[in-house]
Amino acid sequence: MSAVVRSDRKGGDFGWARAAWQQAGFGPVLLVLLLAVNIAVNPARFAPGAWGTLIGLAAPLIGAALASTPAILGGRGGIDISVGPLMGFINALIVLVLVQRLGIETPWIIVPAAVLIGAAVGAGNGVLATVLRIQPIVATLGTYLILIGITLTILPAPTGTVPAWLRALGGPLSILPLTAVFLAWIAIRRLPYYDHLMAVGSDDRAAYTAGIPVTLVRFLSYVITGAFAGVAALMMTALIGSADPSIGPTYTLMAISAVALGGVSLAGGRGGLLGAAIGAIDIFLLQSALTYFNLSTFVLQIAYGVVLVLAIVLTALHERLLGRAKETA
Amino acid sequence: MADAEPRLSARGIALKAGAEPFDLDVGAGEIVGLAGLDGHGQERFIEVLAGLHAPAAGSVVSRRDGADHAVTSLRRAIAGGVAYLPRDRRATGIFPTMSIVDNFAIATVGQDRRFGLISRRERRRRYDYYRERLSIVAQQPRNAITTLSGGNQQKVLLARALAHKPDVLLLNDPTRGVDIATRQTLYAVFRELAAEGVGLVILSTEIEEMLLLCRRIVVFREQQVASTVTGDDLAAERIISIMFGRAQ
Repeated sequence: MSAVVRSDRKGGDFGWARAAWQQAGFGPVLLVLLLAVNIAVNPARFAPGAWGTLIGLAAPLIGAALASTPAILGGRGGIDISVGPLMGFINALIVLVLVQRLGIETPWIIVPAAVLIGAAVGAGNGVLATVLRIQPIVATLGTYLILIGITLTILPAPTGTVPAWLRALGGPLSILPLTAVFLAWIAIRRLPYYDHLMAVGSDDRAAYTAGIPVTLVRFLSYVITGAFAGVAALMMTALIGSADPSIGPTYTLMAISAVALGGVSLAGGRGGLLGAAIGAIDIFLLQSALTYFNLSTFVLQIAYGVVLVLAIVLTALHERLLGRAKETA
Repeated sequence: MADAEPRLSARGIALKAGAEPFDLDVGAGEIVGLAGLDGHGQERFIEVLAGLHAPAAGSVVSRRDGADHAVTSLRRAIAGGVAYLPRDRRATGIFPTMSIVDNFAIATVGQDRRFGLISRRERRRRYDYYRERLSIVAQQPRNAITTLSGGNQQKVLLARALAHKPDVLLLNDPTRGVDIATRQTLYAVFRELAAEGVGLVILSTEIEEMLLLCRRIVVFREQQVASTVTGDDLAAERIISIMFGRAQ
């Protein structure tokens, strides 16, 4: 770690290492550690041939973490805790309404439907949090409860099946939707919008005096979060292969832990999707190692909590180290 | 001094209900100073000109390409060719987590587009033009803005405002916390801009500075214009006595 900091000060080589350090902080370090532990205790599960399956298992969590990031980047308490229930809601709508009731199986309808439902709910969150200016955590807690309620009303118990193409996305092919999200984000990064979002997250008063439409920028961050949650819902549907009202909501807290672990500042304006993805993989690996030791799910919960606290402490430490490196530069 | 057509006109402005309304025109190439004791309305007025606050009465209109633009918000002001340099650099100016070049470009990111996408090279090219022009001393434009001295941060913010290519530039205490050498550079830039036909409005807490730059100084007292000083009257004692209400 200290070597990376030193190269940061010299500002010469190790450009990629520096970029990874600046964006993700301790996430990649933990990734390497956890990967080593997992390979050591469970070589069969982590053999190169099995990686496709592993990605499929991790994909919904990675997707949920990616989805949670844009709203957080917008700053001033921006957060969307309804991402998990939204995934469950879209899962129920796709399997129950589109596939079972209407008999629609083509991806050309199901994929846009998932993304559009996600974006619409995200827009609703955006209106509550940015136009009506309800504190984002309270506004999206409302959405969280509403979505869980609706999902349980239309789908009291797990049921249904999914089309073959969607089931296939639950394995190695889950790399496709993940890549799609990353490509969308790379495109967004090349738009003026991205600079505006980071500026708003960095300091909204300065953004306002610079003539940036602060409310619109934040509103759109919730829409993007919702659309990405739609993709995450597809990956979750692919993995479980049915409609299940209880699984979606569990993703919210794990996703936020992943985002924090990935070096995305919960104060906004710092971090990116790559860090969030690395954080999600960290959590997945932790889960996988603990499950191997046959620990109960209660212990898993404790581990998530510890990781979240640790992540926030490490992120603060990381920011301080970065600040110091910059002052001496 | 000024064109027949003023670039920015404030008509019947009252900063608070019941205050006596006043007008102000800013012509092309003119530098107008705003003076007053802190909190006597001059800062409120420059923010009204920038579209950040609505006045209690009256309206602000900017003229660009022969068309009138009502200044009712900061974005409308920018569209009408009015750029604003905020006073509190730390609180409402810089983005501490962002780089120098991004801090410069943030208000005008649309200009960096090539085929719809942001071009880093184009942004760098734009930055280099203003770096040269304002003699910004910064080794690596990719470094954080916080690595710069206060004076150079201010120059980056001025570059941000100039990137709008404004007809009128509103400067809210532009040399606050800025070293002497940088001040001289800024004064030279302000005069150059005026010579190019930009109208400038400068609010400053230092009267000497305004006497150096302005041919017309508007003095505020108790939320209204106490007097407008021009020509031979431009002297520090006279302005100070108006500020304290001892003269008209």
